Amino acid sequence: MPRVTRRTAIASAAALPAALSLTPGSGLAAPAVQPAPEDRAKLAGDRPLFGAVTWTLPNGLRVVFAESRRVPVVGHYLFYAAGSGEDPGGRSGAAHFFEHMMFKGSRNVPPGQLSLVVAREGGQDNAFTSRDVTAYHQTVEASRLPLVMRMEADRFAGPLIPPDTVEPERQVVLEERRQRTDSNPRARFWEAFEAALWGPQHWRGRPIIGWEEEIRAITRQDLLDFYAQRYAPANAILVVTGDAREAEVRRLAEELYGGVPSRAVTPRDRGAPAPQPAEARLIRHDPAVREASFLRAAMAPSLTFGDRQQAWALEALSHLLGGGQGSRMHKALVETGLATSANASYDGEAVGATAFTLSATPRPGVEPARLEAAVDAVVDRLLQDGPTEAELARAQRQITAGALLALDGIGAAPRMLGSALASGLPLETVEFWPRHLRAVTLPQVAAAARAVLGGAPATTGWLLPEGAPVPERRT
Amino acid sequence: MTGAALTPGLTPATEAPRAFALPIQVVEANGITAWLVEDHAVPVVSLAWSWRGGAALDPQGEEGAAAMAAALLTEGAGPLRADAFADALRDEAISLSFGADRDNFEGGFRALADALPEAVRLARLAMTAPRLDEDAVERVRARAVASARRALETPRGQAGRGFWARAYPEHPAGRPSSGTAESLTALPAAAIRGAIGRQMRREGLLVCAAGAIGPEALRALIGEVFAGLPEGAPPAPAALPGFRGFGQQVIPVASPQSAVVFGQEGLPAEDPDWEATQVMLRILAGGGFASRLMHAVREQRGLAYGIGAGLDVMFRRGVIVGSVATENARVAETLSVTRDEWRRMAEQGPTDAEREDAVAYLTGSLPLQFADSRRVADSLLTLRQNGRPVDWLAGRAARLRALSTADLTRAAGRVLRADGLSVVVAGQPVGL
Repeated sequence: MPRVTRRTAIASAAALPAALSLTPGSGLAAPAVQPAPEDRAKLAGDRPLFGAVTWTLPNGLRVVFAESRRVPVVGHYLFYAAGSGEDPGGRSGAAHFFEHMMFKGSRNVPPGQLSLVVAREGGQDNAFTSRDVTAYHQTVEASRLPLVMRMEADRFAGPLIPPDTVEPERQVVLEERRQRTDSNPRARFWEAFEAALWGPQHWRGRPIIGWEEEIRAITRQDLLDFYAQRYAPANAILVVTGDAREAEVRRLAEELYGGVPSRAVTPRDRGAPAPQPAEARLIRHDPAVREASFLRAAMAPSLTFGDRQQAWALEALSHLLGGGQGSRMHKALVETGLATSANASYDGEAVGATAFTLSATPRPGVEPARLEAAVDAVVDRLLQDGPTEAELARAQRQITAGALLALDGIGAAPRMLGSALASGLPLETVEFWPRHLRAVTLPQVAAAARAVLGGAPATTGWLLPEGAPVPERRT
Repeated sequence: MTGAALTPGLTPATEAPRAFALPIQVVEANGITAWLVEDHAVPVVSLAWSWRGGAALDPQGEEGAAAMAAALLTEGAGPLRADAFADALRDEAISLSFGADRDNFEGGFRALADALPEAVRLARLAMTAPRLDEDAVERVRARAVASARRALETPRGQAGRGFWARAYPEHPAGRPSSGTAESLTALPAAAIRGAIGRQMRREGLLVCAAGAIGPEALRALIGEVFAGLPEGAPPAPAALPGFRGFGQQVIPVASPQSAVVFGQEGLPAEDPDWEATQVMLRILAGGGFASRLMHAVREQRGLAYGIGAGLDVMFRRGVIVGSVATENARVAETLSVTRDEWRRMAEQGPTDAEREDAVAYLTGSLPLQFADSRRVADSLLTLRQNGRPVDWLAGRAARLRALSTADLTRAAGRVLRADGLSVVVAGQPVGL
């Protein structure tokens, strides 16, 4: 599976990749109705996709509202501009552990009650922590909006973090880590690979859930400090979407969230990556693995870091290079019988540096070294000749064709709006994203490819079954 | 337990939620009956369809034939080779796909209204003129073999495989529906053609649609998509035998954590206690933080990240299946807690408050389940696969509210078997 961008994943499955959830949790004869002119405009990127409005409360809390009356349901999301990237040194996993503790009660809501009350009202609630944000969310029948706003505002203002719940919850987090990572050889490798590229103590190279020893070391005081530094109104984004009216949302936000006291925020410190990867080559043998895997990731700019203009070009590049059938990697590696899969992935919507990643699985009998040489050849040719106009046009068309599908459902709008704004991006990045993608030019793609694939710090990794020969390093 | 513990400011809403209604139109065309939920708010249409069969029709030794066939239908059809077919779909963001599960062969697409003619053309081509080019077959085969092998790399994958193989040793339901590395490697192209020939029929077809399309347009669409299929119906799959209890089995896997799959015989979809069982199982095991098992295993003891169980429906029968993962040293305790809760529910049933909470959730959350066109079409299709009448959903809230605590207690006593819980543990559990 190609690792897809947030936008694509959200539009297709209402899921946020690379984020941890609190609970586990899945030739027409008679023409149909044609899209109204405003839908065409949205598709073209000329009109805002969600038509969201935004304002800021006196205490600094930013509110975003996008109305949709399709079903009598509202989504209520509170995003904090703090994720695992803000974990203190030696305390990786703090943001995620704290997210779990937010369900242990607040001044007026007893421990565990929030989820039970939401369920009793026919709603769904959960939370997730990514590298860039932590979000708490409920989806409820429209008339239940005030209830969930009241409970969320209550834990915003004063979570209890009862001392006797910290140790049992640490056990839950450790089981979550065992389930997600320690008992899955591919997840173990991915974690080691990211640490090899960025460094195991760099904010970008630590796992979101945290290193096991550091999860064990987190104290209750660490959690309280994290709250004090990051969970301030000026560091949060409240997103309400669905069947509600703007005036009512303004009134409720002021009444229920306006009383959360304004506090100073510790700004994010997303240090620049090292000029070299911690390890340029990572070879892992794992007895549980039955199929070899190849990974190569290069440090890359994002919409918030480095040459930001390159972010949209890199998204187009990842599609034409390794975005499935029709892409260069698919033609050169999959259609020739060298690989069962071959993909490129890039997500520019990130705080700080990000990665441009190539991955492939060799077909049985294909020497890993041969596959790696073929990957190198694809990249070399791209860097030498650049992509073609036809490739770029197709990438732009295919990436943007489904933009409107984000309106078909209730999960995409709040997640796209909230994660972008909490990552420091303007609303416009979400509302008009197809326009940005369509504006990318061929020289921009060629330049971005040279910058990232032609010399940026990178790590190459192989996950191999026990006993498989180590592929020779390219000379 | 809820409500009362809250301060006045947090008292749950008293205003009744707006009544939920999902008007379903029944559309007949070309001998096919379709259910339609029409909604023009967003210019998107989803269509979902299925036949009985799927992996259940794979002959012995040809496991994975239906799944391979499903994957190959979108790997080139008519004049379009695989890459051209993929471009045709992706240029218009059409998500056409097919799949073979244990007892059904399903197809479906979601498309913007503008792209509907193209979606129809490609769906028809895929079903009536799949190319099955040799290079495409080999590519899809390599991918399927790799994914079958990868599925066994984790304790969870091993436990799931072991559970079904033991529960249904002599029926296709006990085999992996997408095949094994061995069966897929040996599968001749003729077996894939055979699977398509068995399954792609004009009869036995269930069709559901949702989104920006009216009944007239849907009638025309059905004619175009399905009229080219050959006459006749797919053969009936072998009836599902009873769940064969197998006690407790350990599959040794080197891992710090054991994956556990547990379950037991359930009940047929037409059983009068079906909905009582659904509500009872939500209270016991299926309600996230609201369930007894989640409370006992995660909240009270920190034994696992999550635990859940519910009805896994196939062949119009619900089998009760659950899973949990925990550190090797704590598997025994987790299983003991699980069995205790299972027994307590079987013997005593739920409380009135638990019933009220569960029913409030199940009735109140209905609108959330029908918020996008694909889920609407898929949900309607599931209702039809289980033989539900068209007014089943409309009457569901009233039926659930009419259930008494005694109804749930009776269902729990009838269905749950704490001593008959079959368990597969994959890992290195201590003290089992």
